[in-house]
Amino acid sequence: MNDKFDAIVIGAGHNGLVAAATLAMAGKRVLVVEKRDVIGGAAATEEIFPGHHVDTGGADASLLQEEIIQRLNLQQHGLQFHEGPALLFAPQPDGRALTIWRDDARTAAEITRFSARDAAQWPAFRRQVERFAGMLREMLLLTPPDLAGLQRGDLMSWGPLALRIRRQGGEDMMELFRVLPMAVQAYLDEWFESDALKGALGGSAVTGTALGPRSGGTNLMFLYQNLGGLLNHRFITGGIGRLSESLAAVAKAHDATIRTGAGVEQILIENGAAVGVRLESGEEIRSRVVMSNADPRRTLFGMVGPQHLEPNVMRSVRNIIYRGTTARLNLAVNGLPAFAGQPNEEQLSGRIRLSPSLDYLERAYDASKYGRCSEHPYLEIFIPTIRDRSLITGPQAKNGHHILTATMQYAPYALREGGWPTAAEALTTTFLDALETIAPGIRRQIVHQRLTTPLDYECDYHLTEGSIYHGQMGLDQMLVMRPIPEWSRYETPIRNLYLCGAGAHPGGGITGAPGYNAARALLHS
Amino acid sequence: MNTNQYDAIVIGGGHNGLVAAGYLARAGKKTLVLEKRYLVGGASVTEEVFPGFKFTVFSYVVSLFRPEIIRDLNLPAHGLTILPLESTLTPTYDGRDCLYRDGDHYQTLRNIARFSQRDADAYDEYARYMYFMAKAVRYILGVIPPDPTTFNPKDLKGLLDMARHFLGLSQDQLYVLAKLMTMSAADFVEQWFESEPLKATLSASGIIGTFLGPRSPGTAYVLLHHYMGEIDGAYRAWGFHKGGTGGLAQVLARAAEAQGAEIRCNAGVAQVLTKGGRTSGVVLENGDEIHAPLVLSSLDPKQTFLRLVDPNQLPDDLVGAVRRFQTLGSSGKVNLALDRAPELASRPGVGRHLAGAISMSPNLDYIERAYDDAKYGNFSREPYVDVIIPSMIDPDMAPPGKHVMSCFVQYAPYKLADGEWTDEKREAFGDAVVNVLERAFPDIRDIILHRQVLTPVDVERITGITQGNIFHGELNLSQLFFLRPAAGYAKYRTPIKGYYQCGSGTHPGGGIMGAPGRLGALEALKDAR
Repeated sequence: MNDKFDAIVIGAGHNGLVAAATLAMAGKRVLVVEKRDVIGGAAATEEIFPGHHVDTGGADASLLQEEIIQRLNLQQHGLQFHEGPALLFAPQPDGRALTIWRDDARTAAEITRFSARDAAQWPAFRRQVERFAGMLREMLLLTPPDLAGLQRGDLMSWGPLALRIRRQGGEDMMELFRVLPMAVQAYLDEWFESDALKGALGGSAVTGTALGPRSGGTNLMFLYQNLGGLLNHRFITGGIGRLSESLAAVAKAHDATIRTGAGVEQILIENGAAVGVRLESGEEIRSRVVMSNADPRRTLFGMVGPQHLEPNVMRSVRNIIYRGTTARLNLAVNGLPAFAGQPNEEQLSGRIRLSPSLDYLERAYDASKYGRCSEHPYLEIFIPTIRDRSLITGPQAKNGHHILTATMQYAPYALREGGWPTAAEALTTTFLDALETIAPGIRRQIVHQRLTTPLDYECDYHLTEGSIYHGQMGLDQMLVMRPIPEWSRYETPIRNLYLCGAGAHPGGGITGAPGYNAARALLHS
Repeated sequence: MNTNQYDAIVIGGGHNGLVAAGYLARAGKKTLVLEKRYLVGGASVTEEVFPGFKFTVFSYVVSLFRPEIIRDLNLPAHGLTILPLESTLTPTYDGRDCLYRDGDHYQTLRNIARFSQRDADAYDEYARYMYFMAKAVRYILGVIPPDPTTFNPKDLKGLLDMARHFLGLSQDQLYVLAKLMTMSAADFVEQWFESEPLKATLSASGIIGTFLGPRSPGTAYVLLHHYMGEIDGAYRAWGFHKGGTGGLAQVLARAAEAQGAEIRCNAGVAQVLTKGGRTSGVVLENGDEIHAPLVLSSLDPKQTFLRLVDPNQLPDDLVGAVRRFQTLGSSGKVNLALDRAPELASRPGVGRHLAGAISMSPNLDYIERAYDDAKYGNFSREPYVDVIIPSMIDPDMAPPGKHVMSCFVQYAPYKLADGEWTDEKREAFGDAVVNVLERAFPDIRDIILHRQVLTPVDVERITGITQGNIFHGELNLSQLFFLRPAAGYAKYRTPIKGYYQCGSGTHPGGGIMGAPGRLGALEALKDAR
């Protein structure tokens, strides 16, 4: 028999693994091939410093869809979640700090110190964001509508959703229409007056994009980032890599095979259809279907090749906006840094953001428009070891070390002057200077440090242009336009080749949705 | 018969108000237009600001004007004369070279090829593309926005008609449309072109009148909005009305009067009279009452709902929405009286190339930086300037041998970070514009006889438009179609019976288009029947 596998999944990122597990559960024979030596892609926990297990990409699992957790039985496979009581801690340059708690009353008391008016607005704001996020959440596990199908009057999946939203009341629906395409700044200005609060909230809207808070459509990203609840975070005990491991365990339990260190050089195509892959080692493996968790450009240009693509598809793929702007500094420190505002451990248990105002954020963005790194960057920091000591093992475990992961924007992939390897040193300085403004003395506490630039994300994690979401999450690259018009339903112009990564609907973040949707699209076809 | 009793009153003698009056009078209504200034036109006026020099004070070109209005109101008979602006010239930053595009197709391609052969190759396809897209979208200019949230049969039919129209497009067009609605002008243009003067000049259409930079998503729609215009069936043709945009206002006024409408200037409206949820007329600033069962406001939504009527008698959702309506003005105007024709460094001599648009948009970063200044509350140190020299097109605009120059400038924010606009700041803004002009026109400083500088605050003071926003409100996705000016109030009606909207703050928005005036009047007439 020629076709040993029903499906080969390229890439063991969390979406590839969700797709593999879903297919395997449905009785398909699945092979996952991963280029790196570890699984998880950008959802991996790696021992990058001796005894320190660091989430090298994403860390927050609050967007992971409940339906996927249930269907794949992940909790049976050792997945444990934990959440801190604080959602967000925002140290200010003037030494004050704003903490947003899960508890509304506590949050309101805190916001009052900045603006009594804003504190009064908070509960209604949270309700509206969560209501709208709920409407968007319903679209996550749906395959985008087929516009050609609409022309035939086929409204199978989206019709009922549209009706449901409509029944919730015309006012809400109109408000959603109005609010979605807004700039996050315009939206937050309607609610609040405090720079500290607006700045801290606004960070969500620009994560992973080359857009600023005044850019149209960033409010969509704001709502998307809050799909799991306003500013929510949800960590996995043992690190986000445990999620990938449990997904792999489910897949393996259903007889899927996972090979690491097995990069794909070429997707084999015969008569316009994918029939398998050739690995970098030269080995060829055949299958009925190939599903790629790699981003769309890498898949279609890198592994398929232009000779198989129509010029209009070529143009669309070339025009996908990637524009990675995110850099990461992972630190091991010899004790909890002394943050401005003297927070206790509880306050530091969620997100920590340096974004004291929307103008601060906008100015950070300005630099990237002209191909420079922000002088005063936006930072988002997690200190997972506050609640999860299992992340530090061996002799290091007892000496009070902490892991601190700091994501910064903006560090554009395409620098106008110089290039990435050389610019890295200056970026580290920028990074540490920014950290020092909110955690004075942190430099002296560093035991290990590692910088990941957008170029590193491209070279080591194989993300085109270092775009952590496999393509910018702007209004123009969502839904029927993700990744490219006409190919938003997980299929590609190559028959039997599917996309199952963040480049497809609904997009990036650890949702599992693209992988799950792609697997179901394949199973239904 | 009481002389202060009419069938319909139109508040504001801007172009939309005049169009509305034309339609009301044509339907047999005894109509009165009330204009607070001494002349009609609103932001579409020509004024002899300095003796012998006629300035197109605010708006300066026409292209979006609706052909059905020209037909219905028989405008050619009243003197409609639109002279085409045939060329666009973009000087490079140093002014020594320029990209010149005009009606000579092959020469234009050769000119583009000097900057990029690839761009010259893509130019025709781009033009064709935009032509079809504009044609496809133009449909909505004549549509009353249906409410997608009700199950009212009329709205459902409207939605269905619209769905039928758009689904009738090819899939390819549908996707391009979706992209155009959501992209930035810069990203859109960069998909086609690589040379800076061309990219910047094309994207500049996407920022006109908005408080956004060319890299901000949403500006591609504004670009398309400007492509929807047509003159004698030719798309994307800008035109200059004989006598300036004020000439067009005069034509509209004559057409309305020919239908029987009466126009009263120096008659600012203080208040709309309401009783029991219904309007009965207006009170003028001088205290006079004028009565009519129909009152149409062509003023912007904030004037219409927050000033002319007591907001307390309006539903909270409407008042909230109108307060939130984004109206921050971002553009200014500098009008110059010149001693002789200015000459370009890149193209010396006086010729036809001065009779088109001259766009100070040398590269995308230039415009984006101009925006950066504005978003933090400063006028652009090096602004984007769209120049035309009306007297090169219509010699009657200036004394023999002399010229007038109209400079549309972005960005000049309504609100400055360092306090109010002052005379000093206004002049500094004017100087910034002259500095930019000087690189392209080295002798400009020597030939300026008079200068008029208008900031958004001046636009507001003179025309009454809130915050000097030339479109009566940002043209972004959150403020278009059934959301313009507010959800549930996009069909020109208001909660007050007999009181209607017909200005640019309603669908389909700003520009000298006349569509809001026409649609507003037609809706009012529908109810009055």
